[in-house]
Amino acid sequence: MCGIVGYFRKADSEGPIGEVMLRMITALGCRGPDSTGLALYGGKRRSGAVVRVKLADQAEPTHQATAILDALAGLGEIRASAVDDGVLRVELGNGAAATVVERAVLRSAPGSEVFSVGRRLDLVKRVGTAAELDASFHIRGFRGTHAIGHTRLATESKVDISHSQPFWAHGRRDLASVHNGHITNYVKLRDLYEMRGHVFYTHNDSEIIPAYLGDRMDQGATLEQALRQSISDLDGTFSYLVATAEELGLAKDGFSAKPLLMAETDEAVVVATEEIAIVAACGPDVHATELPAREVRVWSR
Amino acid sequence: MVAVASRLTVDCRGRSIRDVNRAIREAMVAGEPSIQVLHPEARHSLAVALLAPVEIRIEGSVGYYCGGMGDGPHVTIAGSAGWGLAECIMGGQVVCRGSAGNGAAASIRGGRVVIHGNAAARAGISLKGGTVLIGGNTGYMTGFMMQKGTIVVCGDAAEGLGDSMYAGEIYVGGRIAGLGNDAVEQPMGEADVTRLGELLEEHALPGDAPRFRKICTGGRLHNFNKHEFDVWRAAL
Repeated sequence: MCGIVGYFRKADSEGPIGEVMLRMITALGCRGPDSTGLALYGGKRRSGAVVRVKLADQAEPTHQATAILDALAGLGEIRASAVDDGVLRVELGNGAAATVVERAVLRSAPGSEVFSVGRRLDLVKRVGTAAELDASFHIRGFRGTHAIGHTRLATESKVDISHSQPFWAHGRRDLASVHNGHITNYVKLRDLYEMRGHVFYTHNDSEIIPAYLGDRMDQGATLEQALRQSISDLDGTFSYLVATAEELGLAKDGFSAKPLLMAETDEAVVVATEEIAIVAACGPDVHATELPAREVRVWSR
Repeated sequence: MVAVASRLTVDCRGRSIRDVNRAIREAMVAGEPSIQVLHPEARHSLAVALLAPVEIRIEGSVGYYCGGMGDGPHVTIAGSAGWGLAECIMGGQVVCRGSAGNGAAASIRGGRVVIHGNAAARAGISLKGGTVLIGGNTGYMTGFMMQKGTIVVCGDAAEGLGDSMYAGEIYVGGRIAGLGNDAVEQPMGEADVTRLGELLEEHALPGDAPRFRKICTGGRLHNFNKHEFDVWRAAL
């Protein structure tokens, strides 16, 4: 099971993405009661970055948050910061590289985990329902251009916030993905990327997808090329969505083993595991179609 | 669709699907010949396991397994359908005006499933009888391991068409991206053209019957033959 959703506004302007995404993942709540998460992309290009960090010491988060903020202040201006439910959100005024930010965080707060670094991306996830996600991170009012989301039914790894989706591609700003299915050559790929210095935080096979895509793109592939290549490089069953600052993409395995539908309206491109989520976003008159095996699509501005 | 004067209406909004299906079944027991289902909003398992003749019209798109395990009802879906449309029906008819998700008409033993739009992957998988009609294109591995019955595709068929089929026939009006293991093309006979022409006309589906191609089993996978090991290796 698991449910994935994506929404890409055709216009460059910001829309009520948070509210739409909540409706969509709520509709898929029964496919994934374990946890819920969203990667939301704000429309305004910031010069700095938004950083989300899961603090290691959930009982005493303030102390660790202070240490991280001190370290990040060394990289430049801190515009804002807050701790919600053990997750620190920092708005950085500078454009430091994602790897530099991540290293500074991990050094100042061992055991913490960087959920995301993005110029436009803000990533929220937690154990529980869409309503609980909104209660923790107040996403209903979020305005942006596109987003992806996930509801999780855990089948292979444990249920906690770290193992929840979306996953961010460490080292590459803004790239995040949500996946429905199983990647059966995960261990082999993980070994390969660990040898190259990539850090994995969980035992969730889905974490390999953004790592893989980031790696392909670091080697010069476009998002579309990386998605196409993934269909033969990733083994197993998958329908997954990926987003960057400017794009939304999808890929489906060679057997069409996992569902994924899309619909297009004047306003947006909408994709989801089930039509029920597309109806939740666009109303009952929307025309949704199941995508074929080996399908790859990318929408960009 | 011809309007029926005394049509009972069941509204899905604010009700559980179990409750909706119970209302449909109670109406059938009360002798209602025609039932209209409103606001399906792509929810799953609507109008399943109905075992008597009744007209059901669903005013919108449905989720998974709509009309499944039925024997007798005529179900019409005004919108699209999710996975497993009309799965395992024994008789009756399920008509989808839009497109259907993966595994449409899987394992049906009889009856008729009509999809006016496109069917996704594995339509008519393990077909054991009955007729599946697809007005548009059909997806990967249509008719996989079918054992009996007929599939008609007016548009194009994706790769793996009729893979490992045991028996039955698939008629395709458009292009075939690739035949599956042991699926072979056979000439259209006069009986094929007549029967296909009647089916297309009855359901107002596009295409010119004599121009269709007929796909059947090659029979090479029916019995294991160690001298044809390569055939088996490719199939498995």
